[in-house]
Amino acid sequence: MILHTLCTTPGRDAFDNCLAILSPDDAVLLLGDGVYAGIKKTEAFERLQATGASIHILREDALAAGLMERLGPILVIDMEGFVSLTERYPRQLGWY
Amino acid sequence: MKDRKTLLVIVRQSPYGSSLARASLDTALAAAALEQPVSLLFMGDGVLQLLPDQHSEAIGVKNIGRLLGSLPLYDIESVYIDAGAAARYQLDTQDLVLTVKPVDPAAMRRLINDCDNVIGF
Repeated sequence: MILHTLCTTPGRDAFDNCLAILSPDDAVLLLGDGVYAGIKKTEAFERLQATGASIHILREDALAAGLMERLGPILVIDMEGFVSLTERYPRQLGWY
Repeated sequence: MKDRKTLLVIVRQSPYGSSLARASLDTALAAAALEQPVSLLFMGDGVLQLLPDQHSEAIGVKNIGRLLGSLPLYDIESVYIDAGAAARYQLDTQDLVLTVKPVDPAAMRRLINDCDNVIGF
């Protein structure tokens, strides 16, 4: 059970590296430039969904990017939600 | 006037991932202020700067989308968008903060060849 914090746009290596090891009992949090992987109907989002991991996005970063109306099925969380994710998952791994 | 050299600024950075988005915009505006004919090409992740409804106050920084929306006031000649990148991010090129002309890689090459100076960010 790993919490992956994904901070790069889908075109970057870190995105592919993260997806390669994601498993269904993991959680992903999209933040910073990672939020763009949450855009519905994109190849990036479909690949993310296909991993079976639970997908979250940080509200303030999604808001800043202008994505609130463009997100696929994804849990929008705030900083408090981020903290409770870190409590639920024993390991956190950053991708940037 | 013949001595006005044309400038193409290529923007490839997401709006809030680094300070480069601002830097590229400042460059374009400075050149335009000096009455240099300026065009902008948004390429790759740079297309993300053009998303409408950016609310950057949520992260406490200047709103890049709003800044870009003011470009027509500054005599920026033309704005082009990488059509492939726009499609990859499901962007409707008719519904962005600026009026843009979609271009394919061959047209991007032509733009670069046709200007006097080019700067990439």
